[in-house]
Amino acid sequence: MSGESINLKLKVWRQNGPKDPGRFEEYQANDVDTSASFLEMLDVVNAKIIKDGGEPIVFEHDCREGICGSCGAMVNGKAHGPKDKVTLCQLHMREFKDGETLVIEPFRARAFPVLKDLMIDRTSFDKIISSGGYVSVNTGNACDANSIPISKENADKAFDAATCIGCGACVASCPNASASLFTSAKISHMALLPQGQTEAKKRVVQMVDQMDHEGFGHCTNTYHCEGACPKGISVENISRMNKEYLKAKLKG
Amino acid sequence: MALSTLQKKQLVAVTGLGLVGFVIAHLTGNFLIFKGADALNDYAKFLHDLGGLLWAARIGLIAMFVIHMGLTANLVINKIKARGSNYAKFENHAQKPSFSARIMPFSGVVILAYVIFHLLDFTFAEKSGIINGVDQGLYGLVVTSFMDPLHSAIYIIAMAFLGLHLSHSLQSIFQTFGLVSVNRLNTIRTISTAIGVGIAVAYSSIPVYVLLNF
Amino acid sequence: MSKKVLDSKVPSGDVSDVWKNYKSSMKLVNPSNRRKLKVIVVGTGLAGGSAAASLAEMGYQVEVFSYHPSARRAHSIAAQGGINAAKNYCNDGDSVHRLFYDTVKGGDFRSREANVHRLAEVSVNIIDQCVAQGVPFAREYGGLLSNRSFGGAQVSRTFYAKGQTGQQLLLGAYSAMMKEVNSGQINFHNMHEMMDLVLVDGKARGIIARDLRTGEISKHAADAVLLCTGGYGNVFYLSTNAMASNVTSTWRAHKKGAYFANPCYTQIHPTCIPVHGDYQSKLTLMSESLRNDGRVWVPKKPGETRDPIDIPEDERDYYLERRYPAFGNLVPRDLASRNAKYQTDEGKGVGSTGLAVYLDFRDAINRLGETAIEAKYGNLFDMYHNIAGENPYKQPMKIYPAVHYTMGGLWVDYNLQSTIPGLHVLGEANFSDHGANRLGASALMQGLADGYFVIPQTIGNYFGSENLGEVTTDAPEFAAAEAEVTGTIDKLMNIKGKKNVDEFHRELGLDVWDKCGMARDKEGLTKLLKKIPEIRDEFWQNVNVPGSKDGLNQELEKAGRVADFLEFAELLATDALDREESCGGHFREEHQTEEGEAKRDDENFCNVSAWEFKGVGNKSVKHIEELTFSKVELSQRSYK
Repeated sequence: MSGESINLKLKVWRQNGPKDPGRFEEYQANDVDTSASFLEMLDVVNAKIIKDGGEPIVFEHDCREGICGSCGAMVNGKAHGPKDKVTLCQLHMREFKDGETLVIEPFRARAFPVLKDLMIDRTSFDKIISSGGYVSVNTGNACDANSIPISKENADKAFDAATCIGCGACVASCPNASASLFTSAKISHMALLPQGQTEAKKRVVQMVDQMDHEGFGHCTNTYHCEGACPKGISVENISRMNKEYLKAKLKG
Repeated sequence: MALSTLQKKQLVAVTGLGLVGFVIAHLTGNFLIFKGADALNDYAKFLHDLGGLLWAARIGLIAMFVIHMGLTANLVINKIKARGSNYAKFENHAQKPSFSARIMPFSGVVILAYVIFHLLDFTFAEKSGIINGVDQGLYGLVVTSFMDPLHSAIYIIAMAFLGLHLSHSLQSIFQTFGLVSVNRLNTIRTISTAIGVGIAVAYSSIPVYVLLNF
Repeated sequence: MSKKVLDSKVPSGDVSDVWKNYKSSMKLVNPSNRRKLKVIVVGTGLAGGSAAASLAEMGYQVEVFSYHPSARRAHSIAAQGGINAAKNYCNDGDSVHRLFYDTVKGGDFRSREANVHRLAEVSVNIIDQCVAQGVPFAREYGGLLSNRSFGGAQVSRTFYAKGQTGQQLLLGAYSAMMKEVNSGQINFHNMHEMMDLVLVDGKARGIIARDLRTGEISKHAADAVLLCTGGYGNVFYLSTNAMASNVTSTWRAHKKGAYFANPCYTQIHPTCIPVHGDYQSKLTLMSESLRNDGRVWVPKKPGETRDPIDIPEDERDYYLERRYPAFGNLVPRDLASRNAKYQTDEGKGVGSTGLAVYLDFRDAINRLGETAIEAKYGNLFDMYHNIAGENPYKQPMKIYPAVHYTMGGLWVDYNLQSTIPGLHVLGEANFSDHGANRLGASALMQGLADGYFVIPQTIGNYFGSENLGEVTTDAPEFAAAEAEVTGTIDKLMNIKGKKNVDEFHRELGLDVWDKCGMARDKEGLTKLLKKIPEIRDEFWQNVNVPGSKDGLNQELEKAGRVADFLEFAELLATDALDREESCGGHFREEHQTEEGEAKRDDENFCNVSAWEFKGVGNKSVKHIEELTFSKVELSQRSYK
């Protein structure tokens, strides 16, 4: 199953910490097996850097099957690289041509400070969730799971919104570094379910405020986020968030 | 109370919608030119005679304009701050990249510049509208102005930007207030673009008419 | 080797009433006292997230630690299939007893009966809780929850959210936890790795943690510690586990006195995407539902080089259908896995590495049409296509087994308390519920059962029974543990050898996989037990950890974890060698029936082996917990 091998030039963003201005450094990646994933290619480059006495390129990753949301970088100007609907770990080297130069830099946003090299701090996403992205039901409080029927259509839509992996590609690709797709996905997920209704107004207002507070930009309906999202989350969710927000504000 | 960015955006949309109303009303007035000098001049007189009401409308219009621009400026500064540092390389991600969406602040500035020019040119102008030795009032002013090709060109270019601005903003309003569902998004985009282009063409028809007939 | 008998603390009485009665007789802690008690939770997967949220809601002060930047990144997120619950919504005769029975039998009669019964009982509450949180489970058109049959169960009791059930359940627990972070009841230390457990007066009273961003070592005191840190599958280097999954926290607790139970019970999943090169970092699992329509085969001729579509029917060996005519391609996970190994051992493996077998959908596509197959398996086919770069509609898939779950873990009693008082272990990190083999859709169930419904009760009993004095981080035990941690880190940094951390991990993993993977025998295990200390010694002399210990250093993080795997692997092999029987995920070549089935030895091994640490390189001491079965009858399974 092993593929052909290609040679690549990498221009990788290296930054020692949040305060370091950072710079690009060039690496040669030779004999890259095209069956390897992008992160495995970086593993091999890193192994060589260490052998040569350097410090490896820091990048975040964990499950390497596209679900944990840890990985992500801009590859040639695109979040998670050139292929649609995959995370960086599911991008394979067969997408690249021999002799190509790859510019690899971190997701950039004021709310995502660079921790080191390609690794960013996305704690701001957690803060948005903790500001209201939940149903307040203490353990043991629940009624029987089938006591409230939910239409399949709404359940499926809620699921589609809930598949967000929190990778931040939406923010990275947005010209305004807006977290609207991320925030709206959670708001939509809850707004589509009866369980989410009781706290709906409070939730949308608090989460939108938190999004501003974290320093994300606003949405100008350019829809880059939808194109960058590895899970294909729809901008319809942003529309729903806007409606929920207006409703909450008008009805107080 | 501080406004959230989403509230600001929704206010930009509301005021924008008001301004679209003005643009359409203004266009209907302009079209009277095709009915001849009297129709247009009577309309101008009618507006002048409104007196206090006209001023109320003007103040309302100015307020909408100021809110629309002020909040937009505020949001633009906010979004520049939100990005922090720029990418060395950035490609489009949108499935249907929209030129009009990308240049919204720029088209807005062009429109603002034109509005100032337009007010100085027509509304507060000390010029007279003499055609063939006869003062034909506002009608004459419009016609003489557009007989200058440079003048007409400026006007048409400005209207093109207005069209671009509107073609994004009209569909954007639906998204901003949560009025679209995804399966209707494409229809709304098409209609919005059609309206934008339509308004630009309609406005531009006046200088074209003048250039062809005088 | 001395045999000491462990007390499981299962209350007496009929197994089906034990939990109910125990709940009403346990000691309670009143709300105003809960406020004064601090609990440390390590790990934020299903077990940790649900425990942290539940304890915080009850009023305990909770300190949560995760080496991830966000609680939502824990590896529970990757579970695909579903979660079992004895709801009997399908009216197909399911019950708590049936789920209990299936789990005990599926575990090859090596789990603790009372724990499994409790698990089956609370399974129904889990679904209620998750739905109330807004977990978007699949539904029928009538708006009620949808169920499917999973892993060969005869009833439909599996609740699911497409192929992302783990993600949705984890996000539910995560949101419940973040709610408590917001209210201030939980103090969340992200990017903090637990480096050691601190015991004061023989009780677990805190941990030492390292801030992965700054390298700062910090001390944290509490009244109890919960380890919810998952399994040790990455000892094999290649597994379906996430890259960072490790044994460190449980191993370090083991070194402090917590017994490690049944490490040899590891589960191999038969339908994973095979290894394609030595740069490979992890393996990807595909749902075993693929075996419903796919046919497994290898070429009859070893060393076959033709394209699979050019190999005529009579030169293919559909070995599962041939050997197990009744079950065919649907034999249990362990049989399917082991048989793949036998084929590749004979040189009949396919693909560039020779470590794969075909899973062919040609006949199913001819019979049902491509559209029907796409509707059933579309997302799996896409996933395979993306990773393997081959179109499974045109060419047979290549699959190979991989490690994906470990049933062994720290020994816990019925209260989920380890042999160290105050140290509780939840989820995959403990050994308790799955015996020698875990059934599909049961891992999520156990993690959430432990966190939502068991520990909130039993920890109260611990606090109510123990007289815990106040302990602060000024206690000398904390300073000593901190010094030890710092010492180890300095040692790792100062070796400055020639080999990268990953090279040691790969070397260890390949050897453990080879000799202690799908099939084990005395000869191999003996060799392995000789090899592991050699790799370990070389590691401590020749590993190269670049960079500095202050600040973010991923190589240092890995080095610490690999160092622990190098010690743990020895215990794994020791246990595998010691257990002279085959059961569930532990298959000893010496102990099989004539048909090649696992042959248990109920006379000598109907028990739990819990190992006590006696120093690195020293022989561990085995303790025994006898297993008794009152509700089920021990039987030998057969799939012929």
